[in-house]
Amino acid sequence: MEHNEKVIKYKDALLTSMDDALTRFPGTIIMGQGVDDHKGTFGSTTDLAKKHGAHRVFDIPLSEEGNTGIGIGAALNGVYPIQTHIRNDFSLLAMSQIVNTAAKYKYMYGGHFNVPMLIRMIIGRSWGQGAQHSQSLQSLFAHIPGLVVLMPSSADAVLESYNHAVEHYKGPVISIEHRLLYDYSFKSTYGEKDAAKHDPFSSRLVRKGDDVTIVATSIMVIEAQRVADYLAKELDIHCEIIDLHSISHFNKEMIVESVKKTGNLIIADTSWQAYGVCAEISRIICEHDPRMLKGPVVTLGMQPSPCPTTKKLEDLFYPDDYTFTMKIVEMVKGRGHGLSVAKTSLNETYKSFKGPF
Amino acid sequence: MDALYEKLFYQSLRIRLVEEKIAEIYPSDKIQSPVHLSIGQEALAAGICNNLLVTDMVYTSYRCHAYYLAKGGDLNEMFAELYGKVTGCGKGKAGSMHLASKKVNFMGSSAVVASTISNAVGSALASKILNKNQVSVAVFGDGASEEGSYHESLNFAAAFKLPVIFVCENNGLAIHSKLEQRHAFVVHEHAKGYGVKSVYIEEGYDFAKINQVMEGIVKEVREQSIPYVVEIKTYRYKEHVGIGDDHNVPYRSKDEFEQWKQKDPLIQDAALVAKFTDEINKEIEAAVKFAEESPVPADEELLADIY
Ligand SMILES: Cc1ncc(C[n+]2csc(CCOP(=O)(O)OP(=O)(O)O)c2C)c(N)n1
Ligand SMILES: [Mg+2]
Repeated sequence: MEHNEKVIKYKDALLTSMDDALTRFPGTIIMGQGVDDHKGTFGSTTDLAKKHGAHRVFDIPLSEEGNTGIGIGAALNGVYPIQTHIRNDFSLLAMSQIVNTAAKYKYMYGGHFNVPMLIRMIIGRSWGQGAQHSQSLQSLFAHIPGLVVLMPSSADAVLESYNHAVEHYKGPVISIEHRLLYDYSFKSTYGEKDAAKHDPFSSRLVRKGDDVTIVATSIMVIEAQRVADYLAKELDIHCEIIDLHSISHFNKEMIVESVKKTGNLIIADTSWQAYGVCAEISRIICEHDPRMLKGPVVTLGMQPSPCPTTKKLEDLFYPDDYTFTMKIVEMVKGRGHGLSVAKTSLNETYKSFKGPF
Repeated sequence: MDALYEKLFYQSLRIRLVEEKIAEIYPSDKIQSPVHLSIGQEALAAGICNNLLVTDMVYTSYRCHAYYLAKGGDLNEMFAELYGKVTGCGKGKAGSMHLASKKVNFMGSSAVVASTISNAVGSALASKILNKNQVSVAVFGDGASEEGSYHESLNFAAAFKLPVIFVCENNGLAIHSKLEQRHAFVVHEHAKGYGVKSVYIEEGYDFAKINQVMEGIVKEVREQSIPYVVEIKTYRYKEHVGIGDDHNVPYRSKDEFEQWKQKDPLIQDAALVAKFTDEINKEIEAAVKFAEESPVPADEELLADIY
């Protein structure tokens, strides 16, 4: 490890960003189920109520739609609310306020009002999360004009975008975090002089390569990096990885430029392919110039079923690294390439996850 | 001691021993599903379901093991489900949080808080339209009563005079949040605002009392086609999800726990526990064996039963 290299866990980046927001902006509050308990939203709000006061970090009743409307009202009157859903699935109860109210407030009233707020939602995976605790609903939100939808895939992505949201952005931000990222450690240059500069609400080029473009979201960015490392080392195939980061406002030029260079595109999303990120990125390429492609676009996502609980089927439900790797090899070398690929997979990491839920 | 008391005791003890078995197996990772145990709350399921016919319908939350069993759900299929086996009541797709058994009208258990309450009201609506002479029961926690759909459901049931019983299992906690922090109303009193009859039972450990009160209520609901709210004070012994004890964490007190245990017949009545334990454990061992020996679902199951 180089000297000065800072390493930080995803959940600690979340905690830092929450703490910073409360410290720097007296109008910030965190209102969410269990945010002040001893588990502190899986470590992302731990002890903040003690530090900043129970009037600023507080537990709320189980009333998602009402709570969201209340958050919107508070935002309209000068407070910056940060709200949490410990599963993305539960935000569905808040959908009307998010979609019909928060997303439209500025536009519908002629630009006179702003609803600055951050709604954090967590995707569950593994250990039998099942059909109602595992959904990845980014495309539902990103479909709606008026919402900024983020999926931070690293500690720095959290720090950059949350601080930007709280400090500078005047509208509603939906951020979808992945539960299994919480305990990952990331190199961090956030706040340093020579830190990479990103538009906090746009995409990031996380790896350069000439053979294939991978557009990935959330934890699939981590999987993409593992796959890319393997392919470079073992098979001399070089991937370019774009972390979409912003589902609503991703960097189209970055994607187009990359595909122009590589001619191969694979999209790896945490959700279902139909009508989602995979479909949307394909649309962008088709509308721009599909002749950039050397062959068909390849997509990777969950199988088109609800998530089954049993491990046996859950392993089939999510794509694994082996499939990911093989699809790229086929894309670059053609079918019948005869190359063999090791069967390592992040699934082993996922399997070791046993809560807390 | 009368036969009815022993029957209810047996029912409650069976639920407890099943869940203790789950806790025993859990560290082996054979059950890979978040488990929300009802240990401490068994008397509710036993006392309520004893008054229901097989044709009556029960809907619950993820904390569903007790009602699945009390309603007559098959124990083999339950363990197989927890093990993720194809012989489970949900073919392994459900896991602990979504037990259901169509055969005994245990209609479903959802991991989305409060989401089954309105389903029970709909089931009561159907039984009224189709003249089925059924009672539908929605079981939910105190936390669930904060959801808008609980209030919407109460209003609908009252307006349409539907034969549905709303059972609020008040364990005073939603995960780690205390009731007092979240509630500005009292469940059984608030129901009256909708013109819905209600009752409060403080002795949530007392299956005989619950059974006796429920007997009258089920009869009234069935005969008159009216909704009813039943709030029962109870106590969850284990952590919200998982098999651990968490009385060392400041959100609740060990004293409270000790007080409940003092009143808990499943702890206090050692003679009856001794009388029934062997027989129940035999049944449980057989169910575990069934689960262990059952196959996992075939790959094709992943995309089956979607449409
Ligand atoms: C709509 C929704 N919001 C939040 C959650 C997260 N959650 C799961 S259980 C629970 C507490 C529910 O408490 P209560 O209704 O009292 O039931 P208990 O667990 O005490 O039986 C919460 C908040 C959820 N599953 N669904
Ligand atoms: Mg409760």
